[in-house]
Amino acid sequence: MADSAAAAHRNPEFMNQRSPAPAAGRLVADALRGSWRLSSTALVTRADFETVTPLLYDSGAAGLGWWAIRDTPLADTPSGELLHQAFRLLTLQAVIHQTKIEKVFRHLRAARVEPILIKGWSIARRYPEPGLRPYGDIDLLVRHEDYSTASRVVENADLRDCRVDLHPGIFELVDRPIGDIFARSKLVSDSGQARVLCDEDHLALLAVHFLKHAGWRPLWLCDIALMLESMPDDFDWDVCLGCDKRRVNWIHSVVGLARELLGASINDDRVAARAKAPAWVSESVLSNWKHPFVDKHEPYNHRAPMRSYLARPEGVIADLRRRWPNPILATITVNGTFGKRRRVRYQLRNCLQRARRLVWPIDLAQDPTR
Amino acid sequence: MKPERSTKPRARKEGLVVQTLPDETLVYDLDRDLAHCLNQTATLIWNRCDGSSTTRQIARSVSDDLNHPVDEQFVWVALDQLSRNHLLTDGAPPPVSGMTRREVMRALAVSAAVAVPVVASIVAPMPAQAATGCLPNGSSCSTGIQCCGGFCNGGFCSSSPP
Repeated sequence: MADSAAAAHRNPEFMNQRSPAPAAGRLVADALRGSWRLSSTALVTRADFETVTPLLYDSGAAGLGWWAIRDTPLADTPSGELLHQAFRLLTLQAVIHQTKIEKVFRHLRAARVEPILIKGWSIARRYPEPGLRPYGDIDLLVRHEDYSTASRVVENADLRDCRVDLHPGIFELVDRPIGDIFARSKLVSDSGQARVLCDEDHLALLAVHFLKHAGWRPLWLCDIALMLESMPDDFDWDVCLGCDKRRVNWIHSVVGLARELLGASINDDRVAARAKAPAWVSESVLSNWKHPFVDKHEPYNHRAPMRSYLARPEGVIADLRRRWPNPILATITVNGTFGKRRRVRYQLRNCLQRARRLVWPIDLAQDPTR
Repeated sequence: MKPERSTKPRARKEGLVVQTLPDETLVYDLDRDLAHCLNQTATLIWNRCDGSSTTRQIARSVSDDLNHPVDEQFVWVALDQLSRNHLLTDGAPPPVSGMTRREVMRALAVSAAVAVPVVASIVAPMPAQAATGCLPNGSSCSTGIQCCGGFCNGGFCSSSPP
């Protein structure tokens, strides 16, 4: 059955199901609702499940898709079996990744560099099973002064098979001093004493990261839902939200989205009262979830760098149309806030900002999205 | 008479990634780039392949684990599959092909109350991961958020702040 399901997945007719029904984004949300929890409850019909399976499979949520239906009759369908196989593969991949993380930390510590593991494994470890949350790169936050040493270490031949991304700074947490982030970080014992962000910074990072990419990957909102439901009693929302009013608005919006679209519960009454995403934000996210594939979103949906059109302008109009910014992305890049009305002026400003960089590329000190 | 190496099978350890789940064991063969799934019965038998236990001893200890008598030929059925999937070290044990179809059926029927040992290959396209879809260093960019490194220096992605 696994073979036939896999073959069906490769079948062009099956792939054509990727041109989704209008409500496909909502179906993705329904299929993933509560999927990070221990208990499984399928909230989709069999027909809907068939429609949503390719969207889950190709967006990184295959493991969670399986987890959500594993104790239901949907588990015995070909699509259910396909998701089960994906879960098995992702489980094995997680074990392999974990050994790589241990190796990277060993090498960096030998060079007296103490990094913080962000995204990827640091959120995957919180799920009930390692195969539920796939990841590829090993993202490491390092102090600015350690960056060149760390860069040399990760070039080491022994680490060639580890895809390490070093970050001397990170846009998602640019509102808080890096020294504070390191001081609050913690060691976790489940991967050879890896260092991860404290829960407060971690949730802030995940929320801003979700918006920074216009929330196109459903799995990222599951991460936030999982964080919301697994946070310790002493979770400090003031640390998480920070002092920047705009970012407070951003985090509240994402927390509201996780509740609205995925049914996440919020343990703090004050935050629960404020956590609400404007309707246009959830519509935009659901619209993106109709095509939760990397090549459908910025920057991979661009045909060519704008600079190349200066020499050869053919196709520039079509590509310009593709570059009209997503409203969520535009709001973040111009440091705006999520209000009731969608801000076309943010989108225009984003376009101007990008056009200006095309003409005058060096304007980095003013760049809020660095 | 069966050769000694065959009657005392040894599970392969090198070049494998093994993950045990509640109902099954997942094995990834790093050398062959193949993934396998062992059901509970196959797992029990594989775990008993220590190179010093005979197939008869394995059958006895698996019987104890399952609380149900298991035939030695039942163990051979599992060993045959383990061997064909390169999960035993010292070559193939006397395969089930040495047994008649009737013997195989009898072996499995005798232990009808116990799940037949199954070693299945995991065949599925690799599912998507959850990478950001950001641009690698050196790619043309217009804002830092497009870049994996987080910085867009002079129109090109970089990991270094200006």
